[in-house]
Amino acid sequence: MIVEQIGGCVSFCLEAAGVFFRRGVSRREVFLQIWRVTIQSLPTTAMAGFFVGAIMTVQFTMQVQAYGALGYLGGLSTSATIRQVGPLLIAFMLSGKVGAFTAAELGTMRVTEQIDAIRCLGANPFQELILPRFIAIIISSFALLAAGLLMSVAGGALMGALFSGINLDEYLRHVPTIVTLPSIATGLLKCVVFAVVLASICTYKGYTASGGARGVGQAVVETAVATMVSLVAADWATSLIADTVIQLVLSAGGAVG
Amino acid sequence: MIEFEGLVKKFGDRTVLKGISLTIAEGEIVFILGTSGTGKSVLLKTLVGLLRADAGLIRIDGEDVTHLSEEDYLPVRRRCGMVFQHPALFDSLTVLENVAYGLMKHERLTLEEATQRARECLNMVGLLADSPDLAFEQKLPTQISYGMQKRVSLARTIAVGPKVLLFDEPTTGLDPVTTKQINFLIRDLSRTLKTTAIVVSHDMDCALEIADRIVVLDQGQIVEQGSVREILDSTVPLVVDFLEEAKARGVET
Repeated sequence: MIVEQIGGCVSFCLEAAGVFFRRGVSRREVFLQIWRVTIQSLPTTAMAGFFVGAIMTVQFTMQVQAYGALGYLGGLSTSATIRQVGPLLIAFMLSGKVGAFTAAELGTMRVTEQIDAIRCLGANPFQELILPRFIAIIISSFALLAAGLLMSVAGGALMGALFSGINLDEYLRHVPTIVTLPSIATGLLKCVVFAVVLASICTYKGYTASGGARGVGQAVVETAVATMVSLVAADWATSLIADTVIQLVLSAGGAVG
Repeated sequence: MIEFEGLVKKFGDRTVLKGISLTIAEGEIVFILGTSGTGKSVLLKTLVGLLRADAGLIRIDGEDVTHLSEEDYLPVRRRCGMVFQHPALFDSLTVLENVAYGLMKHERLTLEEATQRARECLNMVGLLADSPDLAFEQKLPTQISYGMQKRVSLARTIAVGPKVLLFDEPTTGLDPVTTKQINFLIRDLSRTLKTTAIVVSHDMDCALEIADRIVVLDQGQIVEQGSVREILDSTVPLVVDFLEEAKARGVET
């Protein structure tokens, strides 16, 4: 069953890619979708990002205080937020908002025969519906995740300054040494991967919905579940791959040096 | 001309169409009658490639379209316009945008030309003429009645100039007055636009009123076909049942 679903989703994405290269996509429609997704989710993402940073600061405060290393709070909290927790939690939030909305929208179009109507008017639903949403969700989700991460850094710093007994300068002092370029690159890589995972699953589940209102509901639930499980798996895989690549690059650099 | 030759369609273990062979001449209005679940809608959807046949052949104007790819089927579908059982209007577009949708996709028309053509089509299905509300064309599908949605759906289909019109249960869910209007609209449009029409229905009344030929399906097979006169004289039990049911509702047979 899971293998069938993964195969179906991969085949769906390949079909979308094929249509993209054969027929292209309306830029206007992509921009409209980007605008819609971004505006729809920016306030929630910013707020979620802010509190993710705040939570990490609260957590690290307890631990670094025990070792008398409060000066490292900013660096540790920001690094953990950017590399691990931030992208994942913000992506969870986006899956509930953008993913569920897209699956419900496409699913409703499917069960009310609107997608068949597009086909019968001689148009390609991948070109008309799927690709604009797919591309827009990737671009918007990446931008939203990145914005959410910035907000999480701000949230962590603010909470640190307000409640952890550390001023902003101290909080930020070790950030550049702990939050290295590879950390930021790993965080951004995760944003890209999560955006692709979200876009693939919600468009696939919506497009293949069947069975009336119940089928649409089912598609939305399956989108939420599949996205969250896939995000966690993708998080682990991306961390592993990114860390391996970073180690290889560092050791190669060391060998050269 | 449309030809089905030994058409078979299965869903899992269930065979819905069991070797349908049927030829429909150009300009003909054919009604396909049958009880629910006999494969009438499946036959139409297979014709336009929304479903794919498991065996048999479909030819449109001599061209074998049975195994065309999705991409190659797109121009075929522009020749065969389908009106769905439910109006299937794009709910984020206005009435006018719905009708102009196909035109904007395929014809090299300016926005003004597409708008003009869409208005003509709305007039042809009696909508702009009927509606005293000048803002009608700017309404969303959810803001108009179900009967009007059906007409808009018909206008959207004829806008791209198909040679064949396919109607899947066009009067389901409509009141008797609107049902009659839609039936006459199907006949008049088919005559005016010189199109072939295939109407899937379980409504013998409409069939007797406007069909050139009636085909009766039962459990995936053709059990009777002929002109209205021949159908009235039929002794096939299902046809007799249909006729008796129509007579009970006061239809002259």
